[in-house]
Amino acid sequence: MVAPSKPVTSKPDEVKPEMGRTVRFTIHRCDGPGKAARWESFDVPIEPGSNIISVLQYIAAHPVTIEGKRTTPVVWDSGCLEEVCGACTMVINGRVRQSCSCLIDHIAPRNGDEVTLEPMSKFPVVRDLWVDRERLFYNLRRVKAWVPIDGTYDLGAGPTENPDKQETRYKLSTCMSCGCCLEACPQFNLEEDPEHWDSAFIGAHAISQARLFNEHETGKQLKRDRLDELMGPGGVSDCGNAQNCVKVCPKEIPLTESIGAMGRAVTIHSLARFFAGKK
Amino acid sequence: MSNEKSSAVAAQHFLLRRLHSLTGIVPIGVFLIAHLTTNSSLLWGKIGLRGEPGPDGQPYTFQDGGVAYFWKEVFWINSQIPHLLLIEITLWVSIAFHSILGWYYATTGKSNVKRYPHQDNWRYSLQRWSGYIGIFFIFYHVATLRWGWTWLVPSGTKWSHDYSVSTLAAALQGSTEGWTAAGLLVSLFYFVGITLLVFHFANGLWTAAITWGLTVSEAAQKRWGFVCAALGVGMMGLAWASLYGALAVNPQDARVVEEQLLESKGKSGVPTPTGRETAAPADGD
Repeated sequence: MVAPSKPVTSKPDEVKPEMGRTVRFTIHRCDGPGKAARWESFDVPIEPGSNIISVLQYIAAHPVTIEGKRTTPVVWDSGCLEEVCGACTMVINGRVRQSCSCLIDHIAPRNGDEVTLEPMSKFPVVRDLWVDRERLFYNLRRVKAWVPIDGTYDLGAGPTENPDKQETRYKLSTCMSCGCCLEACPQFNLEEDPEHWDSAFIGAHAISQARLFNEHETGKQLKRDRLDELMGPGGVSDCGNAQNCVKVCPKEIPLTESIGAMGRAVTIHSLARFFAGKK
Repeated sequence: MSNEKSSAVAAQHFLLRRLHSLTGIVPIGVFLIAHLTTNSSLLWGKIGLRGEPGPDGQPYTFQDGGVAYFWKEVFWINSQIPHLLLIEITLWVSIAFHSILGWYYATTGKSNVKRYPHQDNWRYSLQRWSGYIGIFFIFYHVATLRWGWTWLVPSGTKWSHDYSVSTLAAALQGSTEGWTAAGLLVSLFYFVGITLLVFHFANGLWTAAITWGLTVSEAAQKRWGFVCAALGVGMMGLAWASLYGALAVNPQDARVVEEQLLESKGKSGVPTPTGRETAAPADGD
């Protein structure tokens, strides 16, 4: 198979979906880490309301390419099937998004339309459309994206939360760690060697989560640790302001505002450290 | 995790990043504004003279007015600004620092405008490309017109303070007698270079505000974007006016004006920039 030509797609709801149509899915396949990649195409009869996941289920049941060659079922990752877990994120028609919430009626309403499916390119491929997002979670640990309440005794009630801050935090808290912002980011690139994870760009998701927990009255106990990390190599200053992250975020989290907010926080933090800090 | 990295390295990383951002604005960006304002006087200089007559008592033509005003600006800079060499070295060091670091930073990214053709993403890529090309342009510009690397100039014109307009025009046009193919190439390089660098500054000013945390909300980033765009358009006008001014000048006509100005400065006892009372015409072009 050669790489597919530009897929024929329509804008959502522009075209009324044709009943009983067949759509061609061209999928970027790879049998495992280090194995050669290839393209395979499948013609799939579309049922009303089907999504990418149901198409992949059909292909798993009928793993025959358009050349009539029998192949292995396509492997993918998924969890919730309602766009809150992020596991089924992949590159659909060249754009990263969740496959569960991607309806065929929207992206391929006509008979003979084509759709390409690729795994995210910024994470190592496990197999076919399934990638290993470990670095994403590692980067959340880099900024200690949690509230420190673990211990051996009851800490009592926490401090009062400011409703304004709660409102800011609510939007940030909807992050599902899917990886869309990282896939679209020109500064976040594939890094298979975990040795380099500490100095490579941390990504919009972690910057935004650092903001979330710094805005939390109990979470802010770790504020200085988070800001120290964001000042270091791969921190917030490695952002190139391409602002793709905010445009592909399925939860419409204001990631670029978080980047600006953390830019401000590290500016203040660095001045405070310079003039008053001990180290 | 974070404690594996020494805080010294982390602090250095941050300091270098912020210095890279800062040097782009001060001194480089501030200098660029002053530089373009001065240079564009080649076009609007006649207005700046406010009806002041030439050394022969006759009012200047529009063209000669530009020549005379620019010449006086250059004269003033070179005779009145103290510690000029120190200022120059500060600029060169800042530009070298900003260039080397910027080049390194740019290599850490991988452009993806094909997949995500958003306006912001285009500017991300253009910021890097304008940097790469801008470095070569600035180097050529300073090496030929300031450091006297005449072997890089078509017909080997050496820029001089005393003949600031005629030698500039000849260096860009390729000769004192009019356009040459090499001159056309140099002028084209100038057009591309100044255009990209003005964009680089205006866009860099916009991203710097996010980097430092001045603009946080999307609305603030948008507002500041309009300010940067307006500044960029204004500076682009100055940049293009400068280039047009230099390209429209006839080097031989400019030479006549310069000789008159040199003579009048000599008469008034004011030393010329190069320290000669009344300069004899330089050899060559």
